[in-house]
Amino acid sequence: MSETDENLMLAVRGGDVAKLGVLFDRHHRTLFDFFVRMTGRRTVADDLVQDVFFRILKYRKTFRDESWFKAWMFHIARNARFDYYRSHQDEAILEDNHADGLQSPSPLPGQQLEQQQQSMLLESALFKLSPEKREVLILSRYQDLKYEQIAELMSCEVGTVKTRVHRALKELRDMFLKLSSEKPPCNVKKSESNLRIV
Amino acid sequence: MQCEEVREQFADRVRQGIGEPLQSEITAHLVTCDACRNEAEELSAVWTAMGSIPAEQPGPQARARFDLMVDAYQQGIEQGSTPGFWTGMNSWLAGFWPRQPVLQFGLGFVLLALGVWTGLQLRPAPQSSNTARGDELAELRGQVAAMNQMVALSLMQQQSAGDRLRGVNWSYQMRKPGQEVLGALLDTLMHDPNVNVRLATVDALRQFGDQDVVRKGVLEAMRKQESPMVQVALIDLAVDLREKESVAMLKEFTQDQKVDAAVRARAQKGLSELE
Repeated sequence: MSETDENLMLAVRGGDVAKLGVLFDRHHRTLFDFFVRMTGRRTVADDLVQDVFFRILKYRKTFRDESWFKAWMFHIARNARFDYYRSHQDEAILEDNHADGLQSPSPLPGQQLEQQQQSMLLESALFKLSPEKREVLILSRYQDLKYEQIAELMSCEVGTVKTRVHRALKELRDMFLKLSSEKPPCNVKKSESNLRIV
Repeated sequence: MQCEEVREQFADRVRQGIGEPLQSEITAHLVTCDACRNEAEELSAVWTAMGSIPAEQPGPQARARFDLMVDAYQQGIEQGSTPGFWTGMNSWLAGFWPRQPVLQFGLGFVLLALGVWTGLQLRPAPQSSNTARGDELAELRGQVAAMNQMVALSLMQQQSAGDRLRGVNWSYQMRKPGQEVLGALLDTLMHDPNVNVRLATVDALRQFGDQDVVRKGVLEAMRKQESPMVQVALIDLAVDLREKESVAMLKEFTQDQKVDAAVRARAQKGLSELE
């Protein structure tokens, strides 16, 4: 049975730095995905992932016995991203063509192509949201954090997180529909009452 | 249930996180309310569709970069704990060969001075020249120290954050740095755009904590830093140095709600240790 993240981090805190490699192998993809979805840039995401693990190493003593590793890691990740934004204020982090290194689709036939177009359109809609709304959706949908954990991360009430998720989802829906109407090839149907994503 | 109450549950509903009997009450409401039903179905559809966006995968070099970062960090720690000249040289030989010609020249000069010094050590000296030899050795040691300072200053002015980090770490080789080096370290602490370099500088300054200029610089940096990580490191340093003048600022931190929660907590802990 593999060691828990928390036990590994306690070992790192105690001086067994090699255990940090195991934590890196387990979580760097998750972090990378989070940063790409937040910044839209693979190169920036690469740097931020390294920055997070540098900070974990540097501040390993601040990891408490009762801490949950993933929440602690995302706390550091958020700080790393804020610091990056602060020191790169002159750069537009998100641009309209945000996908500087994101995977470009290869031609696919029929339904697969439609699904791919739909995903791309939804991804574009996601990038149109404010960073705060995008973050709460990414943490809950892709990083699979519970609302209680997100609330702790953002230092707010659980109810506030749920309200933000609700509002962000509605805005995402509206943005998706707006982009769909601008880009007819995407297979999105709006019936009288329902949004249908095929 | 009222519409507003039902819609408050939509964030949980999309994650299928509602238990009974609330689920039944919501379902009953959705049967009778078209507006809520439409919104619930649309949001669920969006939530499901979000799952179709593929996850991004990092490149294969990520692990190699991580290993390099850990090695560099541990090397810096070792240099910090054993600041001897020979240890520094061994570490340098292991992987710190600089790329800039000016730095290569500087290091070459250091090696030359070291060679001369070694030669003088081995040369059988005339009994009458002991005093002169001692003067020469002191002069050569002074030159080596000056070159160390020059290398550190040059590195701290580089564009690359990695080079600046090495410049900061280079300061561990100096027992008595000049005002110029201390000034450069404090300037790096205040203005370097890279947070990792600033954090390394906080650690480097710890060894010179007995100097007034460093203590004042640390207080000034506490006032102006915006990065919570650097603020926490500075608070730790001020507490370790038993810097009483930091008490007022720590109190301000604990009372200012705009300050990051982790910083406030650390300031509170620091206060309890200082008071």
